[in-house]
Amino acid sequence: MDKTKTQRLGLPNLGLGVGLRSKHYSHLMHNDPVIDWFEIISENYINNFGYSRRVLEHVAGMRPIVMHGVSMSIGSTDPLNLTYLQQLKDLANFVNPVWISDHLCWTGVAHVNTHDLLPMPLTLESLEHVTERVNRVQDVLQRPLILENPSTYMEFHSSVLHEWEFMTELVNKTGCGLLLDVNNVFVSGSNHGFDPEFYIRNIPHHAVVQIHIAGPTDCEDYILDTHDQSVPTPVWKLYRLAQELTGGVSTLLEWDANIPEYDELVAEVGKARQVLLGDYPDVPVYRSPYLNAVSNPVDHQLQITNG
Amino acid sequence: MLFQTPLITSYKLQMAELVNIQRWLTSIMVKPGSLAEKVQRADQHYHLDHSAVIRGTDRMSPQQKIGIYARGYIARLLECMSAEFPAVKYLMGEDLFETFAKAYLIRAPSTSPDLYDLGKHFPAFLKASQPKNKVVGNQTFDLPVDLATLERAIAEAARIPGLESQIPDTSSEPDIFHLFGDAGIHPSPCMLLLYLQYPLIDFVRAVQHDEQPDAPPPAESYVVVSRKNYIVYTHTLLPWQWFFLKGLQSTGSYRKAVEDAARSSGESTDSIMADLVLWLPIAENFGYVYRAL
Repeated sequence: MDKTKTQRLGLPNLGLGVGLRSKHYSHLMHNDPVIDWFEIISENYINNFGYSRRVLEHVAGMRPIVMHGVSMSIGSTDPLNLTYLQQLKDLANFVNPVWISDHLCWTGVAHVNTHDLLPMPLTLESLEHVTERVNRVQDVLQRPLILENPSTYMEFHSSVLHEWEFMTELVNKTGCGLLLDVNNVFVSGSNHGFDPEFYIRNIPHHAVVQIHIAGPTDCEDYILDTHDQSVPTPVWKLYRLAQELTGGVSTLLEWDANIPEYDELVAEVGKARQVLLGDYPDVPVYRSPYLNAVSNPVDHQLQITNG
Repeated sequence: MLFQTPLITSYKLQMAELVNIQRWLTSIMVKPGSLAEKVQRADQHYHLDHSAVIRGTDRMSPQQKIGIYARGYIARLLECMSAEFPAVKYLMGEDLFETFAKAYLIRAPSTSPDLYDLGKHFPAFLKASQPKNKVVGNQTFDLPVDLATLERAIAEAARIPGLESQIPDTSSEPDIFHLFGDAGIHPSPCMLLLYLQYPLIDFVRAVQHDEQPDAPPPAESYVVVSRKNYIVYTHTLLPWQWFFLKGLQSTGSYRKAVEDAARSSGESTDSIMADLVLWLPIAENFGYVYRAL
């Protein structure tokens, strides 16, 4: 693995993108996508040979695609799921993604999949464990793995590293890339009391390949990564800082519940252009008194789509 | 272990702790009970003290922080179950549906990276949940089972490998292959056949259109779910048609399928052969069958 400090691991800045979601299939089959690129949830297409795959094929013919996974479980103490990795590779052969990403997390153990992105104790042993697994995944996929910082709601007493330190060491040891989710930095920073700007200033900027932006929910005692709102001002400020420090990387708006119409989605990510000029949208963090908000919503993956 | 030097490195020891912590948290998330009960049980089982594992803050205790994940797990997967089984949810009502869906998630937690596998065994779970002493002839409890079976079949037909981009579409080409024995007619790989106690296709369709249909009275129903050109079709078939397709699926032989259909439906083979002349083009149009040229 080439571990030289090439910006973005030599991967391109794709511009502004959105997630490919079933709600917009019909629109995208009949209209120009307008946007620069798309990110797909890999698991939504791995065993899907129906209309979703047809739409994916159509969209991939028009715009670059990036594969973003939620089930690699790179931090799990279960053995790596080699069947899943092969399926991921098969999908990559079909869609020819510009890169493949997943999360610094685990999703379950003892073969149970919680379909959540669970936090790691940030210990030296965890680092060694994840390093070994990232190297193996990169050998299988024959490309660098791009790992995203998750939103977290709890920290472990046993942690001896900050998340930015853990990510930095992981990059140094494996040559993997980073998907910097500035919304997740904001969420975790709010929940754990660290300075999100300090986090962003202290990651290896040359390894950042992509940025995620999204709208979270303030549940009073904590902030939840709900992907169901407009991007709030503090997240936009972190976004601009990250773009300045990285020299410019691909931007992706995540919106996975209460998904708006396509034009509205495109307009939301388009705000990034104004933000880079210092013009921030005045959007407070959405507040909800209800405890039924869901982090990492995934039910959009199960909407039945028909040609 | 006998004869093995107990050389446990610090790394291995720490890894054992990581394994234990991951099992501990997973068990809290997927097991039943109140949060306090689950945390207490997991603490005891895995010999951990949650307040020594998770950092608390001024605003939230360690248990409250664990609760965010425990609550999110159920809420997230309930939304997935609702997305796959909207008609079952409508029929049962939200509270009863959630009771069954939660019990299902506890009984059979997901073991697949693929969320589409989550609802795979829900119809069987509902079937197994029927009262053991139900009155013979009372089919009320079959209704949600049949409905879940149909909705699961629709979800599967939408995703499984089909004929698109594999087989040239010959459905508009007139020919009479099907008149002559094993005539190159094959069952579509994305055709699913269901025998139900209730006619439910219109009910499911109405729920999909946000209408509020009444549950239909029981009546046996021979259903096919198929996909052609990425469109999923659900239709009610005549018994001989259903048995013909079933025979075609199980034997791969046109002639044997006709014989199966005759034997099971009580129709004569001559009658079925004659009806097939008219019906096979329709079956081809809806993707029940295809012709290999």
